[in-house]
Amino acid sequence: MANAAVQTLDISPVGRVEGDLDVRVDIEDGVVTNAWTSAELFRGFEIILRDKDPQAGLVVTPRACGICGASHLTCAAWALDTAWGTEVPRNAILARNLGQIAESLQSLPRHHYGLFMIDMTNKNYRKSEFYEEAVKRWAPFTGTHYEHGVTISGRPVEIYALLGGQWPHSSYMVPGGVMCAPTLTDVTRAWSILEHFKKNWIESMWLGCTLERYEEIKSYDDFMAWLDEKPEHANSDLGLYWRMGLDIGLDKYGVGHGKFISWGYLPHEDKYNNPTIESRNASVIMKSGVYDGASDTHKLMDQIATREDVQHAWYDEPGGLHPFERVTNPVGKNDLDPDGQYSWSTAVRHDDNGRLEAGPLARQVIAGGSHGEDWQHTDPLVLDMYKKMGGASVHLRHFARMHEGVKLYREAERILREFRLDAPWYVKPTETDGQGWGATEAIRGALCHWIEVEGGKIKNYQIIAPTTWNVGPRSNDGERGPIEEALIGTPIADASDPVEVGHVCRSYDSCLVCTVHAHDAKTGKELARFRTA
Amino acid sequence: MANLLWLQGGACSGNTMSFLNAEEPSACDLVTDFGINILWHPSLGMELGDNLQKLLKSCISGETPLDIFVFEGTVVQAPDGTGEWNRFAGRAMKDWVTELCDAAQYVVAIGDCATYGGIPATAPNPSESTGMQFLKREHGGFLGTDFASKAGLPVINIPGCPCHPDWVTQILVAVASGRGGEIGLDEFQRPKTFFSSFTQTGCTRNMHFAYKVSATEFGQRKGCLFYDLGCRGPMTHSPCNRILWNRQSSKTRAGMPCLGCTEPEFPFFDLEPGTLFKTQTVMGVPKDLPTGVDKTGYVKLTGAAKAAAPAWAEEDIFVV
Repeated sequence: MANAAVQTLDISPVGRVEGDLDVRVDIEDGVVTNAWTSAELFRGFEIILRDKDPQAGLVVTPRACGICGASHLTCAAWALDTAWGTEVPRNAILARNLGQIAESLQSLPRHHYGLFMIDMTNKNYRKSEFYEEAVKRWAPFTGTHYEHGVTISGRPVEIYALLGGQWPHSSYMVPGGVMCAPTLTDVTRAWSILEHFKKNWIESMWLGCTLERYEEIKSYDDFMAWLDEKPEHANSDLGLYWRMGLDIGLDKYGVGHGKFISWGYLPHEDKYNNPTIESRNASVIMKSGVYDGASDTHKLMDQIATREDVQHAWYDEPGGLHPFERVTNPVGKNDLDPDGQYSWSTAVRHDDNGRLEAGPLARQVIAGGSHGEDWQHTDPLVLDMYKKMGGASVHLRHFARMHEGVKLYREAERILREFRLDAPWYVKPTETDGQGWGATEAIRGALCHWIEVEGGKIKNYQIIAPTTWNVGPRSNDGERGPIEEALIGTPIADASDPVEVGHVCRSYDSCLVCTVHAHDAKTGKELARFRTA
Repeated sequence: MANLLWLQGGACSGNTMSFLNAEEPSACDLVTDFGINILWHPSLGMELGDNLQKLLKSCISGETPLDIFVFEGTVVQAPDGTGEWNRFAGRAMKDWVTELCDAAQYVVAIGDCATYGGIPATAPNPSESTGMQFLKREHGGFLGTDFASKAGLPVINIPGCPCHPDWVTQILVAVASGRGGEIGLDEFQRPKTFFSSFTQTGCTRNMHFAYKVSATEFGQRKGCLFYDLGCRGPMTHSPCNRILWNRQSSKTRAGMPCLGCTEPEFPFFDLEPGTLFKTQTVMGVPKDLPTGVDKTGYVKLTGAAKAAAPAWAEEDIFVV
């Protein structure tokens, strides 16, 4: 391979839960052959939380990530509920779920137009027959659909403001319930916001059809039939995304480990009123799971199997521990060494299954399984696509993210019907010592908090964010992190503008501001850098 | 046309997310209608990598005029003042900040972190974080007390965790339309137009405050959050109840006590056990009284208020 052009990509800025990421990628013959992901910001939220008020996580953790603040608040509240043994009234469960859903609905157009689709206007794709239309719709700031999509993304979180006063960064979910007691006008206002969002974006711009028609799609074949059924479908933003994605080969790379995790989310309003760590799996509407693509098997995810390795991360700790056992201890000097320590992110793994991919694709392939409770949500579509299209890819990962929107919309509608305005929203709990665990699915994947309260203050607080799962460095046994693995095999058409690497990172919706450096591995000459999220 | 560059240090991106909720003007309107040329932004920028580095250097050299430098997040100085715990584009972010601040006509700190250090600077401040020109109440911060941008102003601080999108867009429009010099700043360099009134100004629970009718626990449709639940609305400067959040509400309207996030001490009491969502009292009187009210006055006022409180004040007022 003497003539092989070997280059290296480095992605820069991600914190342990949000921040700065660097990625280094080796390229040979125009294909990525090795990769390293480095989180480059450390703020030490787990250290700040030590010895603080037990409820400090309700204020601090939403500020770990301003993009997924409602998801952090959800985890922080349920973690205290399980630690204190609270009673949570059904209205409060519904109000928490609605806040979580509002944040996720917001993120769909914001991520899609603001972060993901800009890449479709990259000059790399100018030969695509869809390029001209892509630029017209999706060019930053001036694209017709970019401007509409980014602006309308602010509407769903107006519902969050009706419950919590503002988005981002409210703390309205508290152990024992919620702080608010919405009135009928709050409910009707929320309805009209949802309707506006549906009429002016989901149906008119995104789908080109009604929610009802879209909901008939249950398989890959159904989807392809829908695409061909009408020009409105094919030319919708979904239709155009699908056709152009295949045209430029987004379905050909970004495979990853083919092993997935979801904590499940949205506790049922009548099934998790006395929350415990153990009873959560049987209480959530969207079920938890681990899916192994190689053996095509599903099982429930148990938090007890979580491990954090730190051999390649900037922590001076034993590693390999469950988060309850972990004490966060950063190293003093964070020199970047791909063979040694190279990230602020830990390497999270399942004790039996190793590294797992978190995110909307994980949720959807898990939703296709027959494990869990009979009443829990199932959806065969994305799992069917996963099998028929030969596994994961940039294309399918982003489709899975957007596919969830209609389901979340329906659940938001159901919640508004289920609120009983004269029933309680809060049952004052008794503060005690104990261990708790709260989890949810942020739009970008599995998020959870572990808390230990002792002597009326926080003894230990541990957060594992979806980006921690996805962006972590190698584990102690050398298994690559999910994004590291997904980068393998990525074709790079132009090493001075490696947009494909950006596609892979952005398909995970990593919660980080990252920069890719491309440089020649032999000369060390840097070829290009670009941001990926 | 005004060139704007926006970077993030020890940040959660919450101010960016808040900014993207803006309408009238929206983020896109700022570009298309107000001639603000966003040179780069972590979530919106197109120029990347090599091009970004060139752009940053071009701003520093003056080749590209830098009219507005917006910074979100803390300036991370760990470990030992090197700033290596927050690297960006190949070097410590703090070094970019120093050079860009020297080149900019106006420097705008967005959110609590950039203003005062915010949550990351909470004890024990593991990342040695500081605000641009303040660390909590202490003047100086990263840039020092004497710093002034080329236009002659200190850092314009727009605190809040996060700050409201309108607070940002209105200041940007003022600067872009040549009226930056007219922005009056208070002792914490906050625009007076937003931060002279109180969070309580316009709160829907004001009548309950006046009659000393308390919301004693969460999930109620009546009562003031100040007396028992630790609300800082009467002591916090912000327009949260004048310019509503997400066009709909505010925390205190929804039932969440104000945390005082536009003030330097946020998070108050360093989140010590027993301080969260509970009014701190001494002999039954709140430790922190409404701004400008002394203890004797407070006792008289609330005694009279309680005696005068009408019966309806104890009923649900925000009824279903």
